[in-house]
Amino acid sequence: MNALVLASAGNALVWIVWVVAALSLLGSGVAVVSFSNPFFSALALIGNLGSLAIMYMLLTAEFVAAAQVLVYAGAVMVMFLFVIAYVGPRREEPWSGGPSWQTVGAVVAAGALLVEIVVAVGLQAGHALGGSGTVGASFGTPAWIGRVFLTDHLLAFEITSIVLLVAAVGGVILGSHTRRVDPGMISPGTAQQREPEAEVVR
Amino acid sequence: MSSTAMTAGSWLCLVSPLAGTIVILLAGTRIPRVAAGWISTSSVVVAFAGAVWAFFGVHSQSGHRGEITTAWTWLASGSFHPGLQLLVDPLSIVMMLIVSGVGSLIVLYSIGYMHGDDEERRYFAYMSFFVFSMLMLVEGGNLLLLLVGWGLVGLSSYLLIGFWHERPSAVQAAKKAFVMNAFGDAVFALALFILIAHSGSVAFSTSFATVTHLSPATADFVALGLLGGAVAKSAQIPLQTWLPDAMEGPTPVSALIHAATMVTAGVYLIARTHPIFEQARTIELLAAGTGALTLVVAGLIALVQTDIKRVIAYSTMSQIGYMFLGVGVGAYSQGMFHLLTHAFFKALLFMAAGLVIHAVANEQDIRKLRGVGRLMPITKWCFLAGALALVGIPPFSGFFSKDSIVAAAAALGTWYGWIFWACGVAGALLTGLYTFRLWFLVFPGEPSAFVREHFHRSGPIGEGALTMLVPVGVLAVLATGGGWLQWAPKWHPFTDWLASAAPTLAIAEPSSTQEYFTSAATVIAGVVGIAIAWAVYSERRIAIPHAPFLRRTLEHKFWFDELYAAIFYKPAELVAAGLRREFEEPVVLQTGTDLGETTLAAGGLMRRIQTGLLRTYVLFLAGGAAAVVLAFLIAR
Amino acid sequence: MLGPGVAWYIALAGFLFGIGVLGVLVRRNPLIVLLSLELMLNSANLALIAFARHFHNGAGQVFALAVMAVAASEVCVGLGLVVALNRKRLSLDVDRLSELRG
Repeated sequence: MNALVLASAGNALVWIVWVVAALSLLGSGVAVVSFSNPFFSALALIGNLGSLAIMYMLLTAEFVAAAQVLVYAGAVMVMFLFVIAYVGPRREEPWSGGPSWQTVGAVVAAGALLVEIVVAVGLQAGHALGGSGTVGASFGTPAWIGRVFLTDHLLAFEITSIVLLVAAVGGVILGSHTRRVDPGMISPGTAQQREPEAEVVR
Repeated sequence: MSSTAMTAGSWLCLVSPLAGTIVILLAGTRIPRVAAGWISTSSVVVAFAGAVWAFFGVHSQSGHRGEITTAWTWLASGSFHPGLQLLVDPLSIVMMLIVSGVGSLIVLYSIGYMHGDDEERRYFAYMSFFVFSMLMLVEGGNLLLLLVGWGLVGLSSYLLIGFWHERPSAVQAAKKAFVMNAFGDAVFALALFILIAHSGSVAFSTSFATVTHLSPATADFVALGLLGGAVAKSAQIPLQTWLPDAMEGPTPVSALIHAATMVTAGVYLIARTHPIFEQARTIELLAAGTGALTLVVAGLIALVQTDIKRVIAYSTMSQIGYMFLGVGVGAYSQGMFHLLTHAFFKALLFMAAGLVIHAVANEQDIRKLRGVGRLMPITKWCFLAGALALVGIPPFSGFFSKDSIVAAAAALGTWYGWIFWACGVAGALLTGLYTFRLWFLVFPGEPSAFVREHFHRSGPIGEGALTMLVPVGVLAVLATGGGWLQWAPKWHPFTDWLASAAPTLAIAEPSSTQEYFTSAATVIAGVVGIAIAWAVYSERRIAIPHAPFLRRTLEHKFWFDELYAAIFYKPAELVAAGLRREFEEPVVLQTGTDLGETTLAAGGLMRRIQTGLLRTYVLFLAGGAAAVVLAFLIAR
Repeated sequence: MLGPGVAWYIALAGFLFGIGVLGVLVRRNPLIVLLSLELMLNSANLALIAFARHFHNGAGQVFALAVMAVAASEVCVGLGLVVALNRKRLSLDVDRLSELRG
């Protein structure tokens, strides 16, 4: 009796947490796409990521939740904010520009995808996604993730690391300063004839 | 022991020139030009040594049967697996000795002749390659390798005729030679296919053994095809027109390919495949008739040629006509013997002519060269030796070989035998006439103004480099004395040597009386020819008969070129022009344009949706994804 | 399992994905486009983890981590592009960057 009460109380509590998190998730998501200032959009995304981390906790994915907060909300978003600060504030009206059919098409396509997902989940797969039992205590813990990563999914792990490395190199190249003409490489005469920046920029 | 010598000698003989070619090709410009010449020469000399080695191997073997050595199985297809095999027997030994022996002298001569040419290395690579091809032809141990060698000599002949590729006439001549030879190769290959289809084997022995079971028509077809190949390669009527044009190549090439070796391949072929021809006696006599006709016609045409090399080229055709006559009537060893002596004296004539041409600024017109003998005494006497050998005056070599052939024709005893005999004797008269026309026009007398102006001395005695004079001297000795190897009525080691490979038919075995009678007739005819030449061209006691039509006919070489142009070239040109107008331009070319334009138009349509706007692309992407998901949902 | 079933999470992920798509399609500022892309990726991650929970299969979580790494790469390159655009004084408007026009 007592346990049952506790269980139903816990269930209600989880429901409450879920609803709050879900509302926060959707609200911050809408905020991301509708703020005209990217700075606020980025802040909204941080909230979005935090809500997601809560969702992950509810799904017993503690390690992923931690990584989400550390990697995403921490490192990646800091990078975002830095770039936004570097670029400077640029405002843009969200629902303007481009051909008129673009916006209509966007809404139709996004709506169609949403409806399709909901239909697929709710009507056709819903019964298969009913309540399921508990999982082992180790499910989602860092130790377990680490073991799975380095045994069953070693190849994926390595490929991911290579992708990261390539992206890092690409980021460095893209962000590095425009290559200047090395005066030692060509004769002084041609160097002077060149228009210093425009040629290289083009 | 003898077996080892045969095998090793024959392979050495075959591989050495090929190795020479490869070395010259790979060395490229890293070696000096003259080194290429010496590499080529020594490779052919090594081949000659291999041939001699193989000769002694066969000689020490009882019965001189020879043997076939197989390196490896070359192709394997079901029960059909021809090997890369060489045949060493008396017949191929003779050819190997001629090809590598005379060949080495000619390649040596080339060192002097080609000195200073821009592309000496290429020339010598080709020369070695030709010798390799020719040896492949004569040593090939089965029908397939015979065909391989046959094709390779055609190729190397093409390359060498067109060696001076900056001259349009040389390129034309090379193409002409190649096309006419390709025709011969095609019928030759067809004949081999028929033969292989019936015998199921490419081996000489097996396929020859099955010939006796062939129906007469099939045997005739096979022999006719082989004869077609032989006629094309040996420049006999009606496929003779390429040979005079082939004189566009360097003179040593003419000496090697178009006098001593390749053009005689047809004779070798008939001798090699004589069991087939004996089953198709009509075709064999057709070969003899072709030879008889060619020797007379070529002799007539040679009378009016003004280019020194073309005169000799027609005389080559005429002499090969003798050889065809010989092997055609069944006197294989006599034909082969004439091939041997002809290689000596004809190479000699070409090379002596080459000395003259070399000394007078590459002038080949005999009307301008009068009196050049005064300035070049050694060349003059060497040429005279070759000329006398060619006419067949005893004791020069042509006498011994040519007369036997004519006598063998007489030995047939039938009406066509006597026609062949008459042709042979008439040919001797013509030979004397055109040879000494050339001689009297070029060598004796006071040097003409042209010669005095253009003659330039070179080499140690003023007639050419030593590398050119030595081969000419050696060949002069051979042309003079080489015939003593065999005098049919008295001694005949050459015929005995070939007895195991190509025995002379009994019906073509002349009696001694016929031999003496024929010898007398041909020698008299030759002397008469020389006398007429002397009277007409040297002393001018007899005016050249005025017969404009005859003269024009001869100058146009009996209108063979014009005839072929009318029969083959013009219709082909018309058909090609028609096809171009009616098919190629409206259909083939237009199709490409249409395709391009359609693609362009379609591209123009598609370009409309390429807005360059990233968001539009993403919209299409999202729309596509939605459509795919929808499709999955519906399909479920 | 306490709280809502997996289907709820999936539906939530679907909504989040739709919002992200809408953001990518209507916004012109490349920074916000990138942020919207993050939304889409995260919705996929949510679905992955929900399915991992449902099927008791660790592969889903592992894959979510891989997606996170790829997202980080994508942000790295995307921000690099934004910085490069900015340095070249080009407009930060994806509609103006139409070099690909046919």
